[in-house]
Order: sequence, then structure tokens, then C-alpha cells
Amino acid sequence: MLTSGTSTLKGRTDEVVMEPNETYWNPARKPKVRIVYDNAIDKAEAIRSVAAGDGRVDVVFDVVPDVAHAFRSDRAKIQAKRSKSVLTGVFNENKPNSPWVKPELRRALNLALDRERILKDGAHGYGEIMPVFIQQGRYGSDPALRPFAHDVGTAAHLVEEGGLKGQKVVIVASPTYGRVVDEIIKDLHEIGLQGKAVITREEPPEDWDVKLEWYFDWSPQYPVGVVHREFFGKGGILRHAPEDAGFDRLYEKLLRTVQQPAQEEVVREVERYCHDQAKALFLYSPNTLFAVSDRVGFTAYDTCMSELAETVVKD
Amino acid sequence: MTQSEGGGAPPKWGPHNTVRVVDPSPVNWLSITWNTMEEPNRVDHDGIGQPSLAESFTWVDDETLEMTMRDAVYQDGERFDAHMFKLGFDKVQEWDNPHPPGAFLNFAPDVTCEAIDDKTIRMRFPGKDSAALMKLRGMHLPSTRFWNEWGFRDPETGSAEGHW
Repeated sequence: MLTSGTSTLKGRTDEVVMEPNETYWNPARKPKVRIVYDNAIDKAEAIRSVAAGDGRVDVVFDVVPDVAHAFRSDRAKIQAKRSKSVLTGVFNENKPNSPWVKPELRRALNLALDRERILKDGAHGYGEIMPVFIQQGRYGSDPALRPFAHDVGTAAHLVEEGGLKGQKVVIVASPTYGRVVDEIIKDLHEIGLQGKAVITREEPPEDWDVKLEWYFDWSPQYPVGVVHREFFGKGGILRHAPEDAGFDRLYEKLLRTVQQPAQEEVVREVERYCHDQAKALFLYSPNTLFAVSDRVGFTAYDTCMSELAETVVKD
Repeated sequence: MTQSEGGGAPPKWGPHNTVRVVDPSPVNWLSITWNTMEEPNRVDHDGIGQPSLAESFTWVDDETLEMTMRDAVYQDGERFDAHMFKLGFDKVQEWDNPHPPGAFLNFAPDVTCEAIDDKTIRMRFPGKDSAALMKLRGMHLPSTRFWNEWGFRDPETGSAEGHW
């Protein structure tokens, strides 16, 4: 294979084997080790292997919070990486007579949540609360924008005013986020709603109300194109709502704003719009979690990708 | 057995310099692509865009992006230059929808790309496209031999057209 990346692809069976590209132009990023992706081993067994230090596996990606919290080893550790990822509740505005077409009811659910407790008790604290989809300090973040306050009184009032009091809210998530859903449901009870968890990897029932979705930003400073657009834009694979002319106008404005710093200001405008409209049930940015053998020096990427050019074997 | 006892060089790769990883992510194919391909730009471990095979990017005006290509050589000795970028652009433009993540990565059909000299690429985006650098992150720049012998075509269909 004749490519130009940091590594060369040597083969693909149950393993993908990569060796350093000897002609790579950048000595600082030229790998020092051979990488073998094991595509056959069971993930749980792989994590046990890292913990035991038996040499079969050195790094496991995408460790879930419960497993990371329970991980014990004197030969390996859990690495938690701040990442450009989001965990967000998508409102089902497409179901018949959906209440979630009303911004004030979407806002009510956002105000109901005690995000600090949800993150701590639902995900062992592995994450970072953010206002919408961009963490403070990153490109496009708005220093003036804050996560929704935990305001039970206002949330309960909006629910009652919207005729939703006592109604059932069906929340769908993968097993990774089952405990997060449990915590969200506790908060919904506080504002007079019933919560029902549907924890599944399969297609959810059609009458779901909120679906937790994880997504990530791999882009070079273009988060709206990669993340916001997927949730709210035309053609977005995670959108369960009618097209939003307001969002689409802003995205079009972004596309036509080429120069910085004006482009970054449009990104902030998009964040404010999504917050003002309570476009989703905004939760937090999950850390990316890895089980890493002590024999390896592993550099994780904020993009959540397993780029391995800097990974080394320690002495 | 020592090297001298065996009479030959030791194996280059062994457990001492091999890292074994398990990545169960549904997008692990993208990680492998980004380990083995290179693009004009990349994103570093802090999530910040960095130049890669292009060493600089300049918006000459709102519709014109100029890039200076880096000196680099492929594994088979072929030199990377602006003409290789142009080849990669032409190949990707052959298809309506070649990117697995979706059509948002496509360059519009009226986007043009010109190798001004061995080092310089000029791209024109009629109507403006601020997503250009994002799209370039997904534009792989392999060698002539890769395109001729492999490409991104499905071996069964002969097509790189996606259905995403």
C-alpha cells in the first residue's frame, strides 16, 4: 500500500498490523513501534488482559465509565482524556403530537437536570459539563454562555403550564448510559413527570421522547459542520425534528464566513441559538477512557480517534 | 541465542517493540485510515488543526485558498508535490458521494483545483465554502501507484460511490 501516513499497513486478518513508515517526512511523528490491532478478542477479555499484564493486549479503547471505575491493576491504569465529544438527549419532535416541538418544554427538561450529580453518579465523574456542544476554552466556545441552571421550580412551572404534568417520558439509551438515564429520571420526578428507561442497542420503540446520543468532533476547528449539523441540520443523521429554518440560516451564514475571527463568532452564534431554543437535552462531554498497560506510553487524542504515532514502549 | 550465535540480524519486530491494541469503536476504520494515509491537514492530540502534507494555508480572498505543499516522499520513492494533491482532488471529484461520514464532506462540483507549480495549489470555491479545511481533513493523498492499483473502489462493484 503506497500512502503517505505515519504508518504503513502490513496486512489485515483478525489483526491489522501497522509498521512505521520509514520515509515519513516528520521525524517527530514517526512511530517507534509496530502496532497490532486485535479485531478478534472480546473487549472484556482484552481489558482483563491489560489489567493482568499478560502481554496479549496493551491498550483498550472506549472503556465505559463503570468498567473504568472498577478497574484495578498494579500493571496498568485507566487513562481519562478530555475529548471533543458530546452526550446529548435528542428530542423526538417527529412523533405524533410531540410536546417537544415546543421550546419551553424542551427548556423545562433542561432546567430539571442536576448535571453535576448526573455526571458524578451516572458516569463516575468522567466528563465535563458544557452549555451546548463546545467546552469552555475550545474554539467557538462563548465565555458568556453557561450550562442550563438547575431550576426545579421554573421547570415544574413550565411542565404544568404546558399540560405535561404527570405524563410519561420515555428515554432511550445504550447500556453504556443506563445509569445516566436513571439519574435523569430522578430529576424528572422532581418536576412532576414520570420517566421510563429503555436501555437497548436495538431500534427503540417509535414513541420514545428522548434518545441519548454520543457524538464526536474530529474536525480542525469546524465543530458546527461535524456535530451541530448532524443533530439539527439538513441531512443530519441524528435529527428527529422538522427542518429548522433558523438553524439552517445560521449554518448557511457560517459556510459563507470564511475569514477568522468572524467565522468563530458565527460558531458562537450557533451555540447561543441552540441554547436559546433548547434544541436538545444538553448533558456533558464524556471523557474518552482507555485501559493502558504500564509498559506503554500512550498519547490519547481529543478527537477520540486511535491515532498512534506517538505511542511508545517504555524501555 | 545471541545475534552472533544465530549468525544473522535479530527480527526487527517482536514483543519488545510491538503495541497491541483493541479498538471496538464502530469508526475504528477511520482511525486506521488516519494512521496510514495523510491529508493536507490533521488534528493534534489537543484537538487543534495542524498543517500536515500542506505546510501552509492562505485564503487569498473569500473564494480562493492557496496551499504550499511540503517536501515528502512516498514509500516507493515517488515524490509528493502539488501535482499529487491535484491527482487526489481529481480522483475524489469523480464520485458524487465518496465519503462514508456523509455528503457534507463533498467539494461542490464547481470547485476547481490548480497546481500553480510543484509547491503551490490554488483552489477556487465559487460562492464561498468555510468548511474547506474540514473537508481537506478527509482528503487522502496517496501515491500514483495506490490510485492505479487500488484506489478506494469497492473490488466487487468497481465503484467508490457511497450510499450514505
